[in-house]
Amino acid sequence: MNLEGRKLMGKLQIDNLLYRVEKPARYLGNELNSVHKEINENIIRFAFCFPDIYEIGMSHLGMQILYHLLNKQENVFCERVFAPAIDMEKQMRDNNVPLFALESRQPIRNFDFVGFTLQYELSYTNILNMLSLAGVPIYSGDREEEDPIVIVGGPCAYNCEPIADFIDIAVLGEAEEAILEIMELYSKMKEEGYNRFEFLKRAVLLEGVYVPSFYDVTYNDDGTVKVIIPKYEGVPGTIRKRIVENLDNVFYPEEIIVPYLNIVHDRIMLEIFRGCIRGCRFCQAGFIYRPVREKSFDRLQGLAEKLISNTGYGEISLASLSTSDYSELGKIVKHLMEEYGNKRIGISLPSLRLDSFSLQIIKEIQRVKKTGLTFAPEAGSQRLRDVINKGITESDLIDAVKDVFHSGWNNIKLYFMIGLPTETDEDILEIKELVFRVVDEYYKVPKEQRGKRLNVTVSASTFVPKPFTPFQWEPQSTQEEVCAKQKLLASNIRNKNVTLDYHDPKTSFLEAVFAGGDRKLSKVLEFALGEGCKFDGWMEHFDFDKWMAAFKKANIDPTFYANRRRGYDEILPWDHIDVGVSKQFLIRENENSKQARVTPNCRVNCAGCGINQVFAGGIC
Amino acid sequence: MAIMRSRFYKKGDMVFISHLDLIRIFERATRRADIPIDYTQGFNPHPIMAFATALGVGVASEGEYIDMQLSNNMDNELFMKKLNNVLPDGLKIIKSKIITDNAKSLMSIIRSSTYLVKLRTKKLLSETDMKQHIDNLLDRKVIVELKQKKQRRGRKNRKPEFREVNIRPLIKNVEPFLLDEHEVLLKMHLAAGSQGNLKPEVVVDKLCELANLPIEQYETRVKRLGLFINGGNKFLTPLDEEAWNI
Repeated sequence: MNLEGRKLMGKLQIDNLLYRVEKPARYLGNELNSVHKEINENIIRFAFCFPDIYEIGMSHLGMQILYHLLNKQENVFCERVFAPAIDMEKQMRDNNVPLFALESRQPIRNFDFVGFTLQYELSYTNILNMLSLAGVPIYSGDREEEDPIVIVGGPCAYNCEPIADFIDIAVLGEAEEAILEIMELYSKMKEEGYNRFEFLKRAVLLEGVYVPSFYDVTYNDDGTVKVIIPKYEGVPGTIRKRIVENLDNVFYPEEIIVPYLNIVHDRIMLEIFRGCIRGCRFCQAGFIYRPVREKSFDRLQGLAEKLISNTGYGEISLASLSTSDYSELGKIVKHLMEEYGNKRIGISLPSLRLDSFSLQIIKEIQRVKKTGLTFAPEAGSQRLRDVINKGITESDLIDAVKDVFHSGWNNIKLYFMIGLPTETDEDILEIKELVFRVVDEYYKVPKEQRGKRLNVTVSASTFVPKPFTPFQWEPQSTQEEVCAKQKLLASNIRNKNVTLDYHDPKTSFLEAVFAGGDRKLSKVLEFALGEGCKFDGWMEHFDFDKWMAAFKKANIDPTFYANRRRGYDEILPWDHIDVGVSKQFLIRENENSKQARVTPNCRVNCAGCGINQVFAGGIC
Repeated sequence: MAIMRSRFYKKGDMVFISHLDLIRIFERATRRADIPIDYTQGFNPHPIMAFATALGVGVASEGEYIDMQLSNNMDNELFMKKLNNVLPDGLKIIKSKIITDNAKSLMSIIRSSTYLVKLRTKKLLSETDMKQHIDNLLDRKVIVELKQKKQRRGRKNRKPEFREVNIRPLIKNVEPFLLDEHEVLLKMHLAAGSQGNLKPEVVVDKLCELANLPIEQYETRVKRLGLFINGGNKFLTPLDEEAWNI
């Protein structure tokens, strides 16, 4: 942004709007530990946007990390932006208030960077809507020198082709280092004479930086990708993700923003490790976040102390993809209980596996706080659990619930997926069998020993094939098939102790389309925005008919992306992205799944996914 | 054990914080300030604190009250200093006092509240007119307000039911304070607490409805000035010793 633009930027008066909307505390921007900086012409303005409402976005750990990391840099001012709720957006549009950053209440249109984190595909329309509310041209090709650089990251950035036409830069992988390199480059070019195109050309040479507009994608007659090639000399043909090698040395915030509102995850999130040793074949996180890297006990206890005293939170959560797999879990939990138990600070452990060690730990921490327990068998039959490489047996589950029922729990949740590859009606009915066996275990416990009134919530979500997983070639079951299977399960699982939870497969269908989509989908998104689609992850706002109208207008058949089996020899829209896990490995795993062959976890035996060849040091 | 009673204000951006948010802010503040507060027993321990009334979102206040149960006695100056150190701008403890153990709870003793209400009329009107409108309101023996009945459990999606309530006895006084072109400032004294509570916004609605006085819908601003206990012929605040055992 030029100096003139900066001078013109005033603080927007939004107080009058705040009296007219629900939960005005979403828009205040002065929460505990939020950062406010003096603005001068040399400071880089970064708008960190989360394309959903405040309560969702503030629960996101990645934002807290990058926000504080960027603000530790003297020459960067990073502020937060969330999708305004429907009522606030209406007020803003009616009063000509453009999208603003919470801290400074200045329009983000004049910022240097507008960053979005891509957590789920159904937030894409919100990104476009936020750009339009900001007054930033939605297509990168329409942006001019003075417009902000639109930069994205997060899990969906690995296949950001459906939004490739809207973004300037995608950062692939862990951004702690790459984002600073980008800031440094930008700052240097600002001194030497900035030019948007030159900046992108130099940024693309940084590892993990993908500039979609620097690649040409052509298609075969059948609609599949023919070739993806760089447009300019020196632009890399494949882009490799970034990882942070040592998690003890990498920045982690010692103070996090504490919201006024009750947000979804309203607690300290202490990240204990990245990556996952398990390799469940449906799970994208299990592959894209490889390799496994832990934070040490020493580092964690230091962080916990600072975070607790700087926030006043009464709960700390040990965050990771599979908390039981942290090698010093017992030690850190014991430490936290001894140190902070008398201060009434509770510990929560999400993503636990159901082994006896984990259950022992849960029982100990529940002396402070008692909550429901969640288990994720994912599939009803052993055969299907082997297909997806879940690595748990029925006796694992039964032993676990026996244990928890004896300890007095009466509220458990079981997660399953419907529409997994090779699934038959038999497998669906096995879900029922498994659930009923769980219920039986409860009644086997003597009445005086068990908790009152068992409630088993069975949640059945719809399988979505994701890029960079062994199932990336698999078709999603059609909506009719999924509905039929849901009905089959619902009509068989009637029981007074069981609550079945399942959703219309329409949103999962769209998720599959965009997860496995290519650049042709940008038109669909543009039209969907025109139809008024936003907050598609919210059932009360989701309108499938509008989406179908958008596909029709763009002359695109969504089933081509969601319900088609892809060939191993097909060029996938994300083939130029390298997450460190080789395609050969994914093919091998897909073949293993067809034979229901289990691949042991990474600690038992290296399955040769390729990650330790890509990143020097063999760190897994 | 000791109970610390405090008066605090809530203004600026903090008017946009709901009562539940406010409870969380105080919980976290006590932890950060290392206030020796007692916790409830059970699986989900909470610091033991109680407020006088819940203030609506958007309403400012110069006189809110909170009781905190401390595990041991604490100097009130130190308590205020520690807590004010960590409270956000817009929330501040103005006065604190250890009260007697047998003092009654805040919620049970509050009887009334005074407010300053600012509203914007669509038409210009004179001071005499305004006074007349208020007199007409106060002259009524009965002012009927339709109140929505609470929905019984398990009866969702039913048509809301209403009952008629006479709010006149809940209005102790309304007086004009200032009139500047379209802007009207009113001072109100209304019933507050568990034995009868009236929001100033309702009085504004009634006043405008009866006087046929259109106002800017979103421009009304309310500030509570104080909370009072009926101590016979004088008004006591919760920090007055005489009020503790009324």
